[in-house]
Amino acid sequence: MLEVRDLVCRYGKVEALKGISLSVKQGQFVALIGANGAGKSTTLRAISGVLSSAAGQLSFEGQDITRCSAREIIGRGIAHCPEGRRVFPDMTVDENLDMGAYLRPDRAGIEQDRERVFGMFPRLAERRQQVAGTLSGGEQQMLAISRSIMSRPKLMMFDEPSLGLAPNIVEQVFDIIDNIRKSGTTVLMVEQNAYSALEMCDYAYLIEAGVIVLSGTGEELIDNKHIRDAYLGGSGH
Amino acid sequence: MTEFLQHIVNMLILGSTYALLGIGLTLIFGIMRVVNFAHGELYAFGAYFVYFVSILLGLNFFLSILVAIVAGCLLGALIEVVLLRPMRGADIDTTMLIMIGAMIVMQNGEQYIWGGVAKSVNTPFPQAPLVIGSVSVSWLSVFVFFASLALIAASYLLINRTKLGKAMRATFQDRDTASLMGVNIQMIYMATFALGSSLAAAAGALLGPVYVISPQMGNIASLKAFAIVILGGLGSIGGATIGGFMLAFAEEIGAGYISSGYRDAMGFLIIIAVLLFKPTGLFARAERIG
Repeated sequence: MLEVRDLVCRYGKVEALKGISLSVKQGQFVALIGANGAGKSTTLRAISGVLSSAAGQLSFEGQDITRCSAREIIGRGIAHCPEGRRVFPDMTVDENLDMGAYLRPDRAGIEQDRERVFGMFPRLAERRQQVAGTLSGGEQQMLAISRSIMSRPKLMMFDEPSLGLAPNIVEQVFDIIDNIRKSGTTVLMVEQNAYSALEMCDYAYLIEAGVIVLSGTGEELIDNKHIRDAYLGGSGH
Repeated sequence: MTEFLQHIVNMLILGSTYALLGIGLTLIFGIMRVVNFAHGELYAFGAYFVYFVSILLGLNFFLSILVAIVAGCLLGALIEVVLLRPMRGADIDTTMLIMIGAMIVMQNGEQYIWGGVAKSVNTPFPQAPLVIGSVSVSWLSVFVFFASLALIAASYLLINRTKLGKAMRATFQDRDTASLMGVNIQMIYMATFALGSSLAAAAGALLGPVYVISPQMGNIASLKAFAIVILGGLGSIGGATIGGFMLAFAEEIGAGYISSGYRDAMGFLIIIAVLLFKPTGLFARAERIG
């Protein structure tokens, strides 16, 4: 479904991605794990078109999307739920959801999806008219996820969805992402919380300093010695 | 007391046009981070356009105002595409210098085309003022007041109720995330500059016929627009509206009770006072728009 080939990205002179390749198949849950600054977020930003790549190729559903703008990417069905939630703080919950459906012309379908996310997150329904900046961190994450759902994506990319949230909320967020995947949406998730990510995913890539150093199924990577030592705290959880 | 009532009426009329001027400038700065020194020239452009269309082409006065607003909108879009779009990503000082250049070109262009002699516009309103008790006000001013209020309300609805307005606010709050939602940021910038420019042109088209139209009228309008925006807080439409009325109030009271020679100085006194005591503006709750 999504193919990334030899992707290179630079911030000024710093090469953040040094030619990474990965692929996500239809219906799969793929995790991209690695330490802070390894290039996980950069990968997602390059895929979603907010960052332009210096070299390499991106393709989605068989079509080249390397030079597509962010607008074209979301139009093709790739939603990016950004790191740190990034809800629009001075807009209401409803308006944030409207922004998620920005490119969709079908009013009836939008309202259906709005009811669907309110069904998933009753707390958001209670706060429809409240501005997003006044929500708690967990509620903001729910809103950010809902906003992405509103674009009816084929592929949803999550960037550090557990970041800065209380442990019980983290569990909820992972449950939600698991449900999204079970409902048939393909998922690419970036996480520092390697153990949870590996446990949930079908396939995972480990990125270190802009290079993919390992890949395999979730179980394979959980059993990998390097990953156990460097990312799972050396103990057998 | 009667004198005071008269000042209040004058303040409302002047304030409504000042609010238009301020809303245009605050939108452009809030969303695009462009310090638009050419804003007053769009105001002068609107005034000259009414003169051109109603006096030289002989079109209906009300229609002329509408045409001037549309022309201001188109000129704004053109300025954005030709002067600002190539400079995207440049720092704020660079675009400020570009807009100062645009101001100089536009002002001298007006002088070249229309000459330095002030023009006046005949209006279809009766010469005799409307007198209520001891307060008198020209029919033209009454029209200006209600037309301005209608335009302020329209801008408010556009920003808060329409899809374009939502996209503008989203872009203001978080440009990258707005583009992730599919917002065409280039289009939003063009629409913002066009809207801000059309509001300035509207203020000029409405206020021009009240006074006289001259190439220098843009200078003082720019400075007043900055005073209003600093007063109301950058990026706040509500703040710009209230700021417009407050500046008009200060001018009226200053001119009426201190000295009419200091009318235009009031705006600068306000800027100095606000910058000294509340540099974020009187109404800014951090930075927001809407």
